[in-house]
Amino acid sequence: MTPATRPDEGPEAEPPDVPGFRTWRGVYLFVFGWFVLVVILLCVFTATFS
Amino acid sequence: MNAADWVVLLGTIVGIAAYGAWRTRHVRSLNTYLRGNTSTGWGTIGLSVMATQASAITFLSIPGQGYDSGIGFVQNYFGLPLALIIVCAVFLPMYRRLDVYTAYEFLGQRFDDKTRLLGAGLFLLQRGLAAGVTIYAPAIIISTVLGWPLDLVIVFSGFLVIVYTVTGGSEAVALTHKWQMAVISTGMVTALIVLLLRLPDGLGFTGAAHVAGALGKLRAVDFSLDPSRRYTVWTGVFGGLFLSLAYFGTDQSQVQRYIGGAALREGRLGLMFNAVVKIPMQFIILLLGALLFVFYQFAPHPVFFNQAEWRRHAQDSRFRAIEAEHAAAAAQSQSAIRTWLQARESNDAAREASARAAMVAASDRTDAIRAEAKAALVAADPRAKTKDSDYVFITFILTQMPHGSVGLLVAVMFAAALSSKASELAALGTTTTIDFWRHLRPLAAADESRNVRVARRFTALWGVVAVAFALFAGFAENLIEAINILGSIFYGVLLGLFLVAFFLRRVGGNAVFFAAVTAQVLVIVMYFTLNIGYLWYNLIGCTACILFSVALQMFLPPRTAADEGRTG
Repeated sequence: MTPATRPDEGPEAEPPDVPGFRTWRGVYLFVFGWFVLVVILLCVFTATFS
Repeated sequence: MNAADWVVLLGTIVGIAAYGAWRTRHVRSLNTYLRGNTSTGWGTIGLSVMATQASAITFLSIPGQGYDSGIGFVQNYFGLPLALIIVCAVFLPMYRRLDVYTAYEFLGQRFDDKTRLLGAGLFLLQRGLAAGVTIYAPAIIISTVLGWPLDLVIVFSGFLVIVYTVTGGSEAVALTHKWQMAVISTGMVTALIVLLLRLPDGLGFTGAAHVAGALGKLRAVDFSLDPSRRYTVWTGVFGGLFLSLAYFGTDQSQVQRYIGGAALREGRLGLMFNAVVKIPMQFIILLLGALLFVFYQFAPHPVFFNQAEWRRHAQDSRFRAIEAEHAAAAAQSQSAIRTWLQARESNDAAREASARAAMVAASDRTDAIRAEAKAALVAADPRAKTKDSDYVFITFILTQMPHGSVGLLVAVMFAAALSSKASELAALGTTTTIDFWRHLRPLAAADESRNVRVARRFTALWGVVAVAFALFAGFAENLIEAINILGSIFYGVLLGLFLVAFFLRRVGGNAVFFAAVTAQVLVIVMYFTLNIGYLWYNLIGCTACILFSVALQMFLPPRTAADEGRTG
């Protein structure tokens, strides 16, 4: 019996075609990491100038 | 504004609108009209998503926010990147796979027709009501400051946006968004450079940042758990995530920007571009406001920045006394800042602390006089507009920027107003055509050219409604807020419908429909009986819709295999 296809299986399998990233999960992790870095930099900015 | 400013203003704004209409005048395909060109790349999609969110109020109010309250408002955007990751991973692939024109078609395929009409109806009600405000709010500020007739500004901007949106639909919207974002970016960078050049000699960016920081304008992050604080990391991450998910995932004006494009990859990268750029961009706009605050510590400035309103009411000697008191306090504040800057360089900690305390006290005194001025305005006329922070940046533009760049900055405000308005009109026209007209007349679906004609007419109709509403509604500040409240009342339930659709696969159409109606009634009853911040209704409506759906499904027959197959 063929298992049911998950709705997001197709799109997730599609490569992002972005240099340095093989999967979309990698792209999302990068964006999340960037968000964390931006928050850290804002904390440093606050500490420096307040 | 002189001739050079007029050339730049009309050249950019009319030029972009004419270019958009001319380039897309031959659009005949329904797919292109509603979803844009099929070869659209991620860069265009990313800029279009950004331009849709950035209204004129963003560029008028946010620098004013930085001036008044500092840059803590940036935390409101902390939930945005997380929401965009969820939209990319869950919402967008489903919209693309089902090949829908509107987000509400997905509700029809996942549940049933009545749930689709409910979702589309909630969107039209909310966006339709807000349609006039998007034109009115920036027009009132621009017309007040420049002394232009308000009706003329509303009709001019409304006519321009209607022409190119009706002509080329979604393709024209995306095309013009690219150029409007170019104007906006160039204008804002120019303003920042001029501002830095106008700071007092020897102060520079670092000195100005230290002054702004010492006066409490540069607290970007606040980890406080105190619920009375308006902007904290926690309200930004959780509240921002929730609001951004509703806006980017379920609002057709955004969904329409990213469901087109050559492939799923383009929409995803366009959204990820926004996830990366948005917080730094908002930070820079807020920082510009905080630097404006420092600039005006060293430059003459009015006690109340909405000078037209001030002149209208400030007639007697009491107001002259407030102006004199403010001028004296501003001079004292400037002197205290200079003393503190010298004390900082002396490396004498005690002297620096004492000078800092004197500087903060002088600044507080100036703030108190500004509050006194606003109270005097209200005493003179209870209907007087007391929020002047929206006028800070435009005052700087008109009094400090060189000619040519004044026209460019006014063009920034118009470009931002047109870009958000165009997305709104295209979304309203598309939803009315696809979810109502075509749904009620299924035989007409086969006639593509007729569908395009109908979509054009509905888009034009919504444009005329928006302009008429802006012209005749006579908005007051409290009416604009009332429309924002209405938005919050409907947004939560709309998001609840989509979250049930995506994540609760066992819940069927009847359960979610009656749950959504019950949740909406609950929110409306709570609004009239409780006294809580209106942003909370987003959370209440969404949670109630989800919980009621699950509870109702327990008493209803389970979804059939045919139902399960609706969304594949």
